[in-house]
Amino acid sequence: MSQKKRRENAVLASPMVLFLLAVLGFPTVLSLIYGFSDTSFETLTRPEFSGLANFSDVLSDPAFWQAAWFSLRFGVITALLQCALGLALAVYLAPLVQRHGWTVAVLIIPMMVAPAMMGLMYRLVLHEFAGPLPHYLYAWFGTAPAFLGPAHVFKTVVLAETLQWTPFAFVLFLTAYQAIPADLREAAAVDSARPWDVFRYIEWPLMRPTLFVAFFVRFIDGFRVFDNIYTLVGAGPGGSTTSMSIYIYESFLRRGEIGKAMAAAILLFLTAFLLLAIGQRLTRSRAE
Amino acid sequence: MRYLSTLRGGVAALAIAAGGMAQAEVTVLGWPGGPEEAALRAVTEVYNAKPDLAEENKVELLFTSRDGFFDKLQVDLAAGSTAFDVNLIATYSIGRYAPFMEPVTLSDQAGAVFGDTVLKTMQFDGQQYGVPTDLSLHFLYFRQDLIDALLADDAAKAKYAAIAQEHLGKSLEPKAPADWTWEDFVANALYFSQSVNPDSPTRYGTVIQAKNLLFNMMVFHSWPRSYGGNWMDDAGTITVDSEAFRTALSQAKMLFDLGATPPDSTSYEYAEANAAYASGQVAAMVQWNAAASELAAAQAATGTTAPPAGPDGKFTHIHGLGLGLNKAAENKEGAIAFLQWLSTEEAALAYAKAGGAPGLAAETAAKLAADRPDLVQVGEYASTYGFVMNGGTSEKALSVYEAQAKEFTGYWAGTQDLDTALKNTAAAMGELLK
Repeated sequence: MSQKKRRENAVLASPMVLFLLAVLGFPTVLSLIYGFSDTSFETLTRPEFSGLANFSDVLSDPAFWQAAWFSLRFGVITALLQCALGLALAVYLAPLVQRHGWTVAVLIIPMMVAPAMMGLMYRLVLHEFAGPLPHYLYAWFGTAPAFLGPAHVFKTVVLAETLQWTPFAFVLFLTAYQAIPADLREAAAVDSARPWDVFRYIEWPLMRPTLFVAFFVRFIDGFRVFDNIYTLVGAGPGGSTTSMSIYIYESFLRRGEIGKAMAAAILLFLTAFLLLAIGQRLTRSRAE
Repeated sequence: MRYLSTLRGGVAALAIAAGGMAQAEVTVLGWPGGPEEAALRAVTEVYNAKPDLAEENKVELLFTSRDGFFDKLQVDLAAGSTAFDVNLIATYSIGRYAPFMEPVTLSDQAGAVFGDTVLKTMQFDGQQYGVPTDLSLHFLYFRQDLIDALLADDAAKAKYAAIAQEHLGKSLEPKAPADWTWEDFVANALYFSQSVNPDSPTRYGTVIQAKNLLFNMMVFHSWPRSYGGNWMDDAGTITVDSEAFRTALSQAKMLFDLGATPPDSTSYEYAEANAAYASGQVAAMVQWNAAASELAAAQAATGTTAPPAGPDGKFTHIHGLGLGLNKAAENKEGAIAFLQWLSTEEAALAYAKAGGAPGLAAETAAKLAADRPDLVQVGEYASTYGFVMNGGTSEKALSVYEAQAKEFTGYWAGTQDLDTALKNTAAAMGELLK
């Protein structure tokens, strides 16, 4: 590449680099400083270096591991459910979508709602005395499950997340499904292949790389979940619905443990980064 | 550190922007929305209309959103924001904000207007950090029609006694709610729950708002306090792992286990609990005084009295909202003058008439008996039954509430036993209050 070309590239890229430095670099540096410092709101402007003390505090805190376990379970289960449902919907509805493209817009409506609003909506809908769902269940069956009670709250938040984000997986799978060359299906039809065989031997192998991408994107999103759970049930009785993000938020703002919160945030970032890297490598090797 | 100065400037700029670029000489950051804002606006008009008030000491109000208000305030104060001279404080957060505020000297009338118990809600380390503007405490709300029917029916009374005998180990007679002990409260809750008494006219005998939320612990505290419970003794020893807390927590747990409170009330806060009572499916509840008009409007037969008694008597948690002086204020003189005036009888009466809920001493409240009869009851309960736990205004008070909320709700929800909950709470409080 010529020197002139390189200079041009640098000039053209500089606005984006500056933007990223401002938007991502500054908070990242600040997080690193606070993560390795003894910092509270009183010492916000004069953090004192404390080495790995915050990381040690976080890793020896049972609440952190409880939150990590919740996030892991939540992330895996919701990602699996969303991928399974998204894949099934994409395959089943593909002919309909091909004829009526506007149906995609209808199906992705849940994604358009802010997660915090979704949490508030479920809080109203599922309330035993104000919500329409328990109202009709009582009217028809004389009883209703306590959707947000200790026995069902995990299932409820998983379901809420799944209903909102399955459309995301659906769109990914639909794109992959529509990208499969038509002549492959035609050739299978000429060979009298049954629909299940077409799916199993042609469509599924070609869509599998998308499955890995969808799973990892949804897993990371589920692992760092905050808004909808926090507005729906908060940290949960005994911290039973405390995700990693909620743990960080409560450490930072509720307990004023800024250094500890930043250390947990750094650990969350590293975990997400590691998982994403593994996911990418797996996807690449599968594709190859 | 340059970046920290930039952050500080940025936070202050955001606060100013949120308030619409306030230009006044004394800027007051108030509690947004609701009657508190309306009342503050009204008294500010009265103050600004004073003929002897210098132009540079006139008051301008600044309001942001209620969402995350105290978290945002924490960041603003910590960053040394000069966007406001006077800011809102609450009893449970004074210690947290005290390092960024200055104590104030109130007017000579303050003691007579508010009374010592209410003034104490704005004190930290023996110093007055604010003028109490609004007081919150708890009432026992009950359905008078249900109580009347119970007291008039001998068969119902016998059933009530049998239920008490079975679950509390003693035969109790139904009583008027003003005479209830916490055992009567539990017996009444069980009697009016269809899970225990299928003939109950209500689905649940009570509703305990038990979301893992610090404010819900405040509602609960009247219970252990009446058994002699406190956060710590005078020597500073943590006393939460006590017979008083064990008794109160166990009694509440019984209500969860026997279905006397909605099973998803572990996700309830103020609004959800009110909705449950308003539906007519709950017989009695302990709730904030602020809910009085809402609950009475929904259930016309609603009566109110002080929370039930324990061996040590009746108690109600009290806390106040108030206004105090920002250490970084640019017009301290004007701000102090406003705060001193705000603690006079003239200001307190104007604030109350405009919809605020100050905790007033009996003599002052009597002057409002025609306009605000509810304040007479609030003032009486505050001075007679009001308490603040030892350490309840400390720097880490909010965190103590948070720790209790997590552990106690875990016990009620069945995720851990009582010993573990109290052990964890005591350990957390030991760290926070050391």
